[in-house]
Amino acid sequence: MDLAQNISLGLGVAAGFDNLLFCFLGVLLGTLIGVLPGIGAVATMAMLLPLTFHLAPTTSLIMLAGIYYGAQYGGSTTAILVNLPGEANSVATTLDGYAMARRGRAGAALAIAAIASFFAGTVSTVLIAQFGPAMAALALKFGPVEYFSLMVLGLVCSMVLATGALHKAAVMILFGIFLGLAGTDANSPMPRLTFGIDAMADGMSFVAIAVGLFGLTEIILNLERDLTRVAAIPLRDLFPTRAELSESAMPIVRGTFLGSILGVLPGGGALLASFGAYALEKKLSRTPDRFGKGAIAGVAAPEAANNAGAQTSFIPLLTLGVPSNAIMAVMAGAMTIQGIIPGPQVMTEHAPLFWGMIASMWIGNLMLLVLNLPLVGLWVKLLQVPYRLMFPAILFFSAIGVYSIANQAFDVYLAVGAGVLGYVMAKLGFEPTPLVLGFILGPMMEENFKRAMLLAGGDPATFIDRPISAGLLLVSAALLAVMVLPSVKRTRAVALREE
Amino acid sequence: MPFSSLIRTASRRALLGSALALAAAVALPSPGAFAQASDWPQKPIRIVVTFPPGGTSDIVARLIGQNLTERLGQQVLVDNRPGAGGTVAAELVRKEAPDGYTLILANNAPFTIAPTQFKKIPYDPVKDFTHIAYIGASAPGLMVQPSLGVKDLNGFVALAKADPKLTYGSSGVGSISHILGEAVKKKAGIQMVHVPYKGSAPAIQDFKAGVLKSYYDLLAQNVPMIKSGEAVAIGVAAPERISQAPDVPTFREQGLDIVLENWLGVSGPAGMPPELVAKIHDAVAAAVATPAVKDKLSTWGIETKPMTSAQYAAFVADQIAVWRPLIIDAGATEK
Repeated sequence: MDLAQNISLGLGVAAGFDNLLFCFLGVLLGTLIGVLPGIGAVATMAMLLPLTFHLAPTTSLIMLAGIYYGAQYGGSTTAILVNLPGEANSVATTLDGYAMARRGRAGAALAIAAIASFFAGTVSTVLIAQFGPAMAALALKFGPVEYFSLMVLGLVCSMVLATGALHKAAVMILFGIFLGLAGTDANSPMPRLTFGIDAMADGMSFVAIAVGLFGLTEIILNLERDLTRVAAIPLRDLFPTRAELSESAMPIVRGTFLGSILGVLPGGGALLASFGAYALEKKLSRTPDRFGKGAIAGVAAPEAANNAGAQTSFIPLLTLGVPSNAIMAVMAGAMTIQGIIPGPQVMTEHAPLFWGMIASMWIGNLMLLVLNLPLVGLWVKLLQVPYRLMFPAILFFSAIGVYSIANQAFDVYLAVGAGVLGYVMAKLGFEPTPLVLGFILGPMMEENFKRAMLLAGGDPATFIDRPISAGLLLVSAALLAVMVLPSVKRTRAVALREE
Repeated sequence: MPFSSLIRTASRRALLGSALALAAAVALPSPGAFAQASDWPQKPIRIVVTFPPGGTSDIVARLIGQNLTERLGQQVLVDNRPGAGGTVAAELVRKEAPDGYTLILANNAPFTIAPTQFKKIPYDPVKDFTHIAYIGASAPGLMVQPSLGVKDLNGFVALAKADPKLTYGSSGVGSISHILGEAVKKKAGIQMVHVPYKGSAPAIQDFKAGVLKSYYDLLAQNVPMIKSGEAVAIGVAAPERISQAPDVPTFREQGLDIVLENWLGVSGPAGMPPELVAKIHDAVAAAVATPAVKDKLSTWGIETKPMTSAQYAAFVADQIAVWRPLIIDAGATEK
């Protein structure tokens, strides 16, 4: 069979000594940089680009890819331990991961995150090998019209995420969109809502907002609470119980598939995957009110989804030659440096490179599992550090991370502002998650809306003429209707009261 | 001590993850900064790039930086400072000491487009900089869907005259591809709908999906698509046909006098001593002339050309004048 041949070709390449070594270096480095917020995979990969002048093309791409998915692994660690999402994809993990950590189940959350990521990595590797080109065709079915409708669905779904009142979630989404619209207008060179601040010419930094709203807000709230020191956790409690494992199994599978599909879409794909998987589990759960309070499915699903998405986001680059995000742009640069122009011809003209890279992704995921499971104990021990020592360290590294993204002091002030805003929001019962989704999806929605209208000659019927878009809008409308129907609202209120 | 191990891990990551600490150290004008040019370089040199990692500018800076590192015996670091049409990077370099330790990979964005595009920029692209060495240029071209059935500029213009709703994609308002698209519209007397994207990758994706009828992008990067028949190249805005795509005619030979190139050079803050300028110029020129480097640049579509520092400085000033009316006509100016 072709697939078997290709995979064995790939494994043969990936198992070479150099490739194994650099794969390991990549995932190790990725894990380390993923652990803290801010400067992440893009900066690290860019710094290592000159090194690739001296490496074989396959080896350098294997290493760079390792940094990327290694960082995805590491990113969940701080999200779970201290409520700090290092990047957009780990925001969904904070919701239940951090809640579990506060209940003393940090070890279980970290272990489930690692297992979910490994499973997702394995499955999506096979998917890329088997269906890569077919999935690329899916990416091509998504033009601006479809993206707009997908974003609409994403925003409607984000209301499902809210644990509190629906109208408050709606307000937060709108506020998020408003914040996201700051920056230079997409269709003219005019700055908008920047107050003449140069640092805002390209919009507000997402990491600054997320670190502020989640990490810094949590610190303020924690300092207010009377924190008792976390007792030492016996080793056997570090790992998930049988019940927790079986509770996570299906969410991992569903998250993997959702992530694999959405990851192929450029831009917000991976982000929508992690939130989408979370929302899906909450909808399917018999006990949706447990979400946000430490439901293990709320960790398993988004972790599987974001790792699967990270993996399948290679598909557009490898099969179409189109890098779908900043990280893939660096990968494209690395390929260009090696004289390989990304595109469909890579698979045929550079078969050992293509399959070697795909096989190395699986090997890298295995390495990450072996690397991360033993670290769980170490990370959990960190929680025993007295909070008065812990929070200055979190603040310090958050500030460094936020600053280093664009080397702008303004971003640090922005994070502080977002932290204070988050505190006020928490006191008033507003949740930060819908805001974050509005912040990211809003501007993308606007951009795609304008583009779709230009391409359609100004005819809004284009959104219902195209079947995928029509379907997405229909689902959004149905979801919205279900949510606002008074009867449903009542049940919701009852459910919330029974907490 | 688990806590100290966090610190260790974390600080290692901070070091590994970013050029920040190192770059900041390099940026500080040390007491010896005004030392004689004959000593240069005594410490690592930073090249500021106006675009994010992975793009052509970035890999050119890294390729030349790598060669300069071997040549000069000092580390040459690339510092990506994208944002606000390249003005963030230019303003940063303007404020640095003219000691040859902070340079910028100069290009159209901050030096020839921004001065006209924006109402106010904090620097003068000619007076506030020392333009040291020209590297080369790559030319943008027009790619159209094979389904349009046109093969050359005449056919394309006839088609656009019949269908004023024909769309073309660019990599953003004020980008080279946008200015070129508007210049072609004006000179050929046609109407087209401009669809701006964020960079050329999403435009190419929409083109491959068939929703976008045509787009402008650097020609060399699109050669595989042209070869595979996914796109038809109508023309290139270079003075002569480019070596990567010798079959694609220039706009000029098809009767449309438009030459617009994406040039790259090395510049520094104003007031650099002449000996230092000569030293850097010679090092960059030698790096660019190295066969391995020249070949790589050529595969990336960059046609190199030797120029003296004075020629290069005059070139930058001339480019501003060439682009100004085109940018104004394109409506790409901040009101």
